[in-house]
Parts: sequence; structure tokens; C-alpha cells
Amino acid sequence: MNQHTSPTEQDAGTSKENTNESARLKEELQQCELRSKEYLEGWQRAKADFINYKSEEGKRLEDMARFITTGLIQDILPVLDSFDLAFQYKMPKEMERGVLLIRSQFEDVLKKRGLEEISVVKGEPFNPEKHESIGEIASDVPEGAIVEVLQKGYTLRGKVLRPARVRLSKNNN
Amino acid sequence: MSKILGIDLGTTNSAMAVIEHGEPKIIENKEGNRTTPSIVAISKSSDRLVGLLAKRQAVTNPKNTIFSVKRLIGRKFSDAEIKKDREWLPYEIREAANGGVEVKMNEKWYRPEEISAMILQKLKQDAEEKLGEKITEAVITVPAYFDDAQRKATQAAGEIAGFKVRRILNEPTAAALAYGFNKKKNEQIVVYDFGGGTFDVSVLEVTEDTVEVKAVDGDTHLGGDDFDQRIIKWIAEEYKKSEAIDLSKDTLALQRLKEAAEKAKHELSTTPETEINLPFITSTADGPKHLVMKFGRSKLEELVHDMIEKSIEITKRAVVSPASKGAGLQLADIDEVILVGGQTRMPAMIDAVRKLFNKEPNRTINPDEVVAIGAAVQGGILQGEVKDVLLLDVTPLSLGIETLGGVMTKVIEKNTTVPTAKSQVFSTAADNQTSVEILVLQGEREMAADNKVLARFMLDGIPPSPRGTPQVEVTFDIDANGVLSVKARDKATSKEQSVRIEASASLTKEEIEKMKRDAEMHAEDDRKKRESIEAKNVADALIYTAEKSLRDAGAKIPEAIKTEVESKISALKSVKEGVDFDATKRATQELSASLQKIGAEMYKGGEEKKAEGKEDEGNVKEAEFEEKKDGEEKK
Repeated sequence: MNQHTSPTEQDAGTSKENTNESARLKEELQQCELRSKEYLEGWQRAKADFINYKSEEGKRLEDMARFITTGLIQDILPVLDSFDLAFQYKMPKEMERGVLLIRSQFEDVLKKRGLEEISVVKGEPFNPEKHESIGEIASDVPEGAIVEVLQKGYTLRGKVLRPARVRLSKNNN
Repeated sequence: MSKILGIDLGTTNSAMAVIEHGEPKIIENKEGNRTTPSIVAISKSSDRLVGLLAKRQAVTNPKNTIFSVKRLIGRKFSDAEIKKDREWLPYEIREAANGGVEVKMNEKWYRPEEISAMILQKLKQDAEEKLGEKITEAVITVPAYFDDAQRKATQAAGEIAGFKVRRILNEPTAAALAYGFNKKKNEQIVVYDFGGGTFDVSVLEVTEDTVEVKAVDGDTHLGGDDFDQRIIKWIAEEYKKSEAIDLSKDTLALQRLKEAAEKAKHELSTTPETEINLPFITSTADGPKHLVMKFGRSKLEELVHDMIEKSIEITKRAVVSPASKGAGLQLADIDEVILVGGQTRMPAMIDAVRKLFNKEPNRTINPDEVVAIGAAVQGGILQGEVKDVLLLDVTPLSLGIETLGGVMTKVIEKNTTVPTAKSQVFSTAADNQTSVEILVLQGEREMAADNKVLARFMLDGIPPSPRGTPQVEVTFDIDANGVLSVKARDKATSKEQSVRIEASASLTKEEIEKMKRDAEMHAEDDRKKRESIEAKNVADALIYTAEKSLRDAGAKIPEAIKTEVESKISALKSVKEGVDFDATKRATQELSASLQKIGAEMYKGGEEKKAEGKEDEGNVKEAEFEEKKDGEEKK
């Protein structure tokens, strides 16, 4: 920017040179203004981006927290399954009651966080929004309807976390 | 201007992404998932289902559930591949009038591009819902080996779905774009894509402004799903051996086994051993039976070893085979390796690739999403959104100073975006030390001597005080041009010294890479060295405290304790210079224990304050400047 020769070195200076000089300076000034505008805009943009980022970050953290709970609860589902399976066997009465209570402790904690069991009725039509078919079996309910639940399904805050794994009726003719 | 959707239309799963605020971002589908199964079905109640919902009914509706349609798209019915696939695909496939393929769903025949269009349409709708705007344009990826007919059919699928297809992009090229490698000049890149059902390897050459596919190879029936099957089979066999029960006929047991196998496989990517625990897996006349089994990483590796080997052989073949069959290159010619596909998270696979190329593969972008990300980047380029308005640099290497024992203490970590500034407070290492020398370092090694010295300067005029007391604040500031200023300020006197370093950016790319490699290579040794020095530093500090306590407490402590402490001091002194830092740690602990007896004695004497002070001094700060010889200081 400072490459022009100093005026003191010039002789009196013709008007032509002066005009040239001033035109050049004007242009330089214009460029500087342009550049400073560009920088200011860039700076404002960066600042705005940062503010936006911060507010988005808050939302992201919230999502993240929700995501982590979801993952945790999803990992716990097999534990609930095991409880269900355990109850298919005979246990000493007080023992069974105790295990039942442990299960309900578990369920209480999860319910508070929005977990709900998907209820399925025998003969209910299959709906892939909340059911997953993993087999077929001969039955008296209409073809393609649900005969039995092999693994319970759950929703978390209204969204299907795991569909109920069901067996469907197969025509037995 | 509406956004261009980047779509990875996969054989088993699809993903989509867009550019938002200049950055690519994966878009979740309606179900909230980042990938969508590439499955279409007509349910028994005649609803059209796409994605997860189609998958959920696939088992009981196999004839009307179309998956892997990518294997069929744009192919002739007479193709050898089709002949093979017809054998295992459960739905009906016939020859179309034009010699192509048609699949049957609910008594109606569809061309594969119509099926793909249904998947694309779902993605389009879900993206529009998520983004709250109309999406009309897309970039869709295809395997590099797709011929013209397959590409045209994929484009047609996009158009049926209502997209203006801006580009059909090669999957490996998309992966390279995601990593920004299109900006590299004259580089050879290998993309190793181990998907759920297929394995593809591509060799790319990046020239002035194009990415050229030089070679492709692969195995259309090798993927992560095969790994799952091996694990399930192994568990079932082991169980059969120990319990004499066959689980393969039990629907629920198999379902649980499948989930447990997938979970175990994922876990073994981060832990060396996991447990498969399936209580009440089945029952016999004797009552319930459980399945509990340890499953180690080495076992998993043993189970799938041959499949990894096979992929490595294919990769090698793609690179070194002469032109027309391969890229005709040497393995050493490859500049970058990119991992794509979820299975590439497996450590043994990463190791195998690393070993083949003697190079760290790129895997920082989620391997399930990298292709979709790249498609979005291509969309951004077409739209002109990804231009580098303001390019912010990062520091390629860490910056720090030398501290007690010749250790490098990092102040600014590598890959920090500049401009940036960071401060840290340090102290002195000796009593009455009046000056400190600041040695500014650059590099990743733990020891100062192994890093590059950028500058050194002295800060003097520190008031004489016990070691650890003065507070010297060191500030590193890097401006947008990469100029580094380092300032040291004594908090007590506000005296400061600083230095400006222009040369910090003058390292060439090769030098930087070499320094990073060196650091990786020596990581283990360096860590040990640093630990031993830190142990010695702690020992020194404790000896200092102990000697001071003996001096201060003087006659107030019984002779027995005094002798004990003295002997422990000399014991520690004798081991701390040695190589066995465990011995140093032990001796330190012993001295520390004896020292507490002094404290206890002082309490007895009622001089609580003093004793407490000693305890505190025991925890001398870790990072201190190295003590300088007087002769060196005054210059």
C-alpha cells in the first residue's frame, strides 16, 4: 500500500501527475472501503454464526441427552424380556412375588422416563408401525392377524422404541 | 434456492444428507433413524410399505417384500449375476419385454427402477418434512462398477420419484469428496467399502479438477451380515456342544441370539471381551435353560479371519494388477485410504488395511454416512454453496513449553482452529529461583527434546520465594495468519516478556506428517518416559517437603520418626534417578506415609496449623519450570 514515492521527492509536479495521483488514491480508498465492508460483514457473520451455533448447541445437547436415555433404555429392554421369560416357570410363591416386585421397580423407573408397553390383543390385525412379525403359526384367528406376542414391544414418549415381536396366523386349511 | 439432496442408495440401507450453513448434515427419516432399509413391500392388507416398516413384516411376507433391488437394477435378465441372485432371492423375478428384469409384488410386476423410486420417494418426503421445504433436486450415488445401463436406470428411478437428478455420482468418489480429497492434486486414493452385504474396493486418481476411477474390484456377496451369521452359528454350536440343545429351530431364541450377536460384535470394536447373557433361552424337561458365554475379540477375529483376508487380497489385486484388471500401481503409491461401511469399525479390519498400505486409513467420518455426506457435498458444489468464503486454518501440530524434567507441556493442542489464545499458569522448580526460561516447542512428542524448538526467552525479576509459589502465566496467541505470540507474565510483579514467531507455519506438509508419524510410532515409549519423569518430579517435590518439615519441626519430633523419615528420604533419593519408576513410586509412597507421622506428632503437640500446611505442600503442582543453573540464566 505504501509503495508510491513520497511527494517530497517529486519536483513541483504537473497537474497531470496530480490528477493521476488523486485518481489512484481514490481508487485505493474505494478498494479499502470495499475491503473493510467485506471484513466487517465477515466478522458480523462469524459472530452471528457463533450466536446461532450456541443456541443450536443447546438444542443439540438436549437431543443428545434424550438420545442417551433412549439408548440406555433400549439396552435395558432385554432385561425386561428376561423377567417375562422367568415368569413362565414355576417358582416358590414368595420368591415369585419378590422377583415380580423387582420387575415392577424396574418398570416404575422406566415409566417415569416415558416407557410404555405396547398392548397387543390376540386376533388384532398386524400393523408394522408397532409390530414386527417373526413367524407364523396355525390358529383360529383370521389369516394374517396376531396370534401371540413372543417379545413385548415398547414406546418411549409416544415413539416406538421396539415393536412387539409377534407370530401371525397362518391359514390352516 | 431449494437444497440438493445427497442420497446414498444402498443395497441394504440408504442414507441422505444436505448442506446446511455450509456443512453437510445427515437427515433423519420419519422414524428418526439416520439410515433407511432399502426395502419395499405390499403388505397383506395391500398397503405399500417402505423402509423399516417393510422390514418388520418381511419374515411373514417374503414373496411381496423386495430387498436388494440394487442387485437387479439396470441389468439384463440373462446376466450371470441375475442368474445367481435368482437362486436366493425369495420374491419372483422374470424377464421383461425389453430383456431387462421385473419383480413381482402382490400380483403386479415392477421394474427395479420403480422399486428404487419408491425408496427414493420416501426419502424425499421424509427430507421435505424434516427440512420444511420442497426438495426437487438430488445427487444419487452408485457403485463405481455400475455400467451405463445401471446408471441410466438409477437416474430413471430418481426421476420417477420426482427428482431432477443433478448427478449420478460414484460411491468412492463421494467418500473422497466427504473427506475433501477432491482438492488434493495428483493423489492416488483407495476406498475400501465393506458394507452389510457387499464389498467394494476402488482406486481413484485425483487430478487437476477431476476424480478418476482407475480400478474397481470387490465381492458382491461378502459383507458384515456374513459376520453376524458366523457369530450366531458359533454360539449355537457351542451351546449345542455344552447343553446338547439345538436352538436353530426356536424362533424366539434365534431372534434373541441374533440381537445378542449384533450387540456383541459392536461391543468388541471397543472392548476386548464381552459376555453373551441370555437367561431362559429355552427349556427342557428339566426346566429352564440359560445361555451365558464369554466372547472375546480374538475369537471374533478367528471366526471371520478368512473374510477379512479375502477383502485384503481383493484390495491388493485392485491396486497392483496391471491396467484393465487393476490400477497398475504399487501399494506404496497410494496416498490416502478411506474406510466406508459399518463393518470397517472392527479393529482387526482397520489393522489389516493399515498393514497392507502401511498407512493410517481415514475413518473420522461415520463410515455408514460418509457416502451420503459426499453426495451432499457434490450437491453443494453444484449449487455453489460450498465455497470457502472464509477459510479458517487449524494448527497442524501442538504448541507448548518445556517443563520440569524436560517434559513438553502442551498449551495449544493440534487441530485447534485459529485465531485462538490460551493461557496456563506455571511455577518455579527451586527455592528462590528468580528467573525462568520459556522454551517454545512444536510437536506431538512427550519429551521436549524430541520436538521442534521455535523460540526461547527468559523472564527474570521474579521475587525470591519457595519453589512452587510464584505464578507465571504463559499465554499462547495465534492470529489468523498463523503468527504465534508467546507471553510470560509474573502475576506478582506484572513483569512480562514475549516473543513473536513467524516461522511456526514454515514447516512443510511432509515435515508435519513426519512429526505426526514419529509421535505415533513413539507414543508408547514416550508415555513411559513421561510417566517416569513425572514420578521423579513427584519424588523430588516430596523430598523437598520432607526435608523442609524436618528442618521446621526440628526438635519437636521424636528421634525415631526423624531417623525413619531420613532413611526413607535417602531410600527415595537412591531409586529416583533409576529406570524403575515403579520403585520410585513405591519409595515415594513410603516416604509419604512416614511423613504423616510427623504431622501426627505435630497435632499431638497442638501445632495443627503447621502440620496441615505440610500436607498441602505434599501436593506440589505437576507443571513447573526446570530449574536453571545460575550461570545459564545470566546472559
